[in-house]
Amino acid sequence: MKRKQNNCSIGGRIHQYLSLIALIISVSVISLYQSQANADDFETTITNAKGQTVYFNAWGGSPAINQYIAWVGQRMADEYDITLTHVKLSATSDAVSRILAEKTSGKLTGGSVDLIWINGENFAAMKSYGLLQSDDWAYHLPSFIYTDADLLPGIKTDFGIPTDGQEAPWGRAQLVFGYDTAYVNTPPRSADQLAQWIIANPGRFSYPKPPDFTGVSFLKQILLETSPNPHMFLEPADQTDQNMALATLWKWLDQTHPYMRKAGRHFPANYTAMIQMLGDGELAIAFAFNPTEFSNGIAQGILPNTIRSYVHDSGTLGNVHFVAIPFNANSTAAAKVVANFLLSPEAQLHKANSDIWGDPTVLAMHKLPPDTQYAFAALPKGVATLNEGDLGKTLPEFHPSWVSVIEQQWAKRYIGQ
Amino acid sequence: MSIRAVILVLCLAPTTAGLIGALVPATGWFAPLGRSDFSIQPVMMFFDQPGIWSSIWLSGFTAITATLLSYVLAMFLLASIYRNGRSGVLFRLISPLLSVPHITVAVGFLFLLQPSGWLIRLLSPWLTGWDRPPDLYIIPDDLGIGLIIALTAKELPFLMLMGLSALSQMKVNDTLDQASSLGYGTYSAWLYTVQPQLSGRMRLAVLIVLIFSVSVVDMALVLAPSVPSPLAPRILEWFRDADLDFQFIAAVGAVAQLFLSLLCCVIWLLCGRMMHRLIRVLIYHGLRPRVPAWVSQSIKLAVFFVALLPCFLSVLGLMSVTIWGFADIWRFPAPLPDEWGFRAWISSADNMIVAGTNSLIIGLASSCLAVCLVIIWLEQTASRRQSTIESWLYIPLLVPQASFLFGLQIVLIWLRLDGLYITLIWVHMLFVLPYVMLSLSGSWRQFDQRYTELSATLGSSQMKQFFRVKLPILLTPIMTAFAIGFAVSCALYLPTIFASNGRMITLTTEAVTLATSASRQALGVASFLQMILPLFVFLCCDAIIRLRLKPFRYFRH
Repeated sequence: MKRKQNNCSIGGRIHQYLSLIALIISVSVISLYQSQANADDFETTITNAKGQTVYFNAWGGSPAINQYIAWVGQRMADEYDITLTHVKLSATSDAVSRILAEKTSGKLTGGSVDLIWINGENFAAMKSYGLLQSDDWAYHLPSFIYTDADLLPGIKTDFGIPTDGQEAPWGRAQLVFGYDTAYVNTPPRSADQLAQWIIANPGRFSYPKPPDFTGVSFLKQILLETSPNPHMFLEPADQTDQNMALATLWKWLDQTHPYMRKAGRHFPANYTAMIQMLGDGELAIAFAFNPTEFSNGIAQGILPNTIRSYVHDSGTLGNVHFVAIPFNANSTAAAKVVANFLLSPEAQLHKANSDIWGDPTVLAMHKLPPDTQYAFAALPKGVATLNEGDLGKTLPEFHPSWVSVIEQQWAKRYIGQ
Repeated sequence: MSIRAVILVLCLAPTTAGLIGALVPATGWFAPLGRSDFSIQPVMMFFDQPGIWSSIWLSGFTAITATLLSYVLAMFLLASIYRNGRSGVLFRLISPLLSVPHITVAVGFLFLLQPSGWLIRLLSPWLTGWDRPPDLYIIPDDLGIGLIIALTAKELPFLMLMGLSALSQMKVNDTLDQASSLGYGTYSAWLYTVQPQLSGRMRLAVLIVLIFSVSVVDMALVLAPSVPSPLAPRILEWFRDADLDFQFIAAVGAVAQLFLSLLCCVIWLLCGRMMHRLIRVLIYHGLRPRVPAWVSQSIKLAVFFVALLPCFLSVLGLMSVTIWGFADIWRFPAPLPDEWGFRAWISSADNMIVAGTNSLIIGLASSCLAVCLVIIWLEQTASRRQSTIESWLYIPLLVPQASFLFGLQIVLIWLRLDGLYITLIWVHMLFVLPYVMLSLSGSWRQFDQRYTELSATLGSSQMKQFFRVKLPILLTPIMTAFAIGFAVSCALYLPTIFASNGRMITLTTEAVTLATSASRQALGVASFLQMILPLFVFLCCDAIIRLRLKPFRYFRH
């Protein structure tokens, strides 16, 4: 019995192994087949995309980014016979409200936007109003295999909202400060030190006026550093006492506003205007959502070469930005081809070059071929760019519901006073 | 009548449709967002916006002050120089400003007057001791004074042009001769005899200026304070908010702007009536203020100075814009760029070619269309006086832009007309046509019918009378109207972004996008082209007129 049992168990084990192997083979065959099918699907997409025009709605305030998009357009025309038209927005929500107007008037196909550069609040709004292609197209892009959501969770959750594949990752951002060594000896490395520095150096600090994205991000950074319980900002805003949650921010601002540029009564319109003020010497400290921003500024002659960058000791806010396709896009196939190219190692490498744009990649190095990894490592780095290691910790983004709470409360307190 | 009806429909249908499109969401009904019940909620939310009263006050204050300033200065200038025939010289000096788009003037003011601007660069550090931009409350300032001066710089030449055209239809010199023979001085004679006639003829032009100033967005974005902004840029900001609830607030804002414009007009007209009363009292008493010659001379000089200051500042501003276009690197406080170059031109060439071509095509097409329609209209109206129906053509200028453009956008999308070249030309035409009408109707109605009658007696057909006699004689005013129409089209910002669905870029949309970004160089390039393009069209028109008049030069005196 025992032997038989053994036999049986051995036979059973072999059977188990066999079935496991079979399972593995079948899974890999299926997945192979699927990826083959995906690739085939995408071949079809590429064929369908031929001759189409993609209206890419993307913020157009930065010459470096505009030039990068123009380069992408050239590549699309050469390789895929796709015409890429960059519709330069002064605010992404322009395009959002336009797509809304299209839905309003029943224009369910042939919309004016094919691809939109988006993340956070705008994505949350578009997703909840059903203004996006709702299948998980982004996960099926061939270039998506080079990403690793375990390493960078931000590519599948955008400000706490699951992307569900409705947007394809494009780039990565982290809040980085820049200071002019001509006026600042040791940069303040925390919210408290920054407040002290502002009070000691009146008129030399400001931030973009909310609802500007970078301005709100700065307020979030201050909140994360001053709040006794920063974890609550990861949850929807209506689950906590908002007045209590934001109290430390208002205290910080009430303290520092009188010592800011123009006594905190006028603010730069956006971060590019703020960077320009840093270049003029009107401000001595500024910040941006791109680690290579300050090196770029020096290269373009906007900033003097006395500018260096730094981050706060406790880490700074970081997030991922995406491209999405509206529900009524006219050239869906071509838009997917563009999104795939934007995510490809070639385009990501070009984008990460600080001579071009300097936007960090969303790809995972270990998933790339060795020569591409080497190319990323060999990218030129400006004098004012921190090493990957010096960038410190990335603090998680707030739940998007906080944005409007912060904006509205800020407006109530500081507009028309 | 039927052709005129078609023209009226062309001009009024979009405005009406757009207004309805804004009024309906203001009452809370916006089916696509799942709101199909009427409520007062949006109105409450609108008045709940922080600093809303400051915004409304700022809009009204800057608009009325700028209009008053440009009107008074224009009248003073005309009174000072019209009689001795030098108005032409002065006008030729400031008329180039007419063709420069509003946003370009605003950018010039910004580049000149902000703390890191050219003026302070020129004076630092040798005079001011500043080696960094000072923390001063200039541009943007709390009261919107920068905006007021910039608006004045733009509107003063326009009101002068309108004034000159109105004066040419009056017997000014005879009237003034009579008044001065009765012992009235230059200004009192003007005030008692010319001004009462002139103010009636100027009313429409002044109201257009007033309403434009209430609803100006592009200049306000650059020059006005932002905490809070005036009402018009805030409406745009609400329209653009990612939180779609703000659509309702924006719609209420659009309606509020309509009321604010009405209120400003009423205030203006009431004050005008009071002035009229006052002048009548003065006339009744025959008041002839006797001032020594040196006083009146110095008043005259002071007025000249104040009137020309905004124009002078804008010229300096435009110079600094041009310099920025060719500055690769220009650090503070260097008075001139550290490195000159064409970097911005090279990097933005593709865009600028597209934007410039669009501006050119849309401008030429819409002003051609407008001139043709206006000529048809004027030919169809037999009477020498302006009819009531004709004043309806000015409605697109008398309704604040933001109040009807959002609604119009929805209607255009619904009709599948959005983003087409033809739509953009049509919408531009709405704004171009009234200006063309303003500029052309005076000369057209003054045309001496005896010329065509004479050619009729020589046996020419109606067509021949029109094309061979009337058009050539009226070539100068036609070309002037065309050039003005082109300049108006070039400067349009809100109509372009709403009607083109944001897809089509023009030099103006590029300039506004760049105005808040870091690259002063790229903005310099866009603004430089914006200056050059209308000026080029002006010069072309001028050349055509000269060429045409060349055979007759011996007949002129």
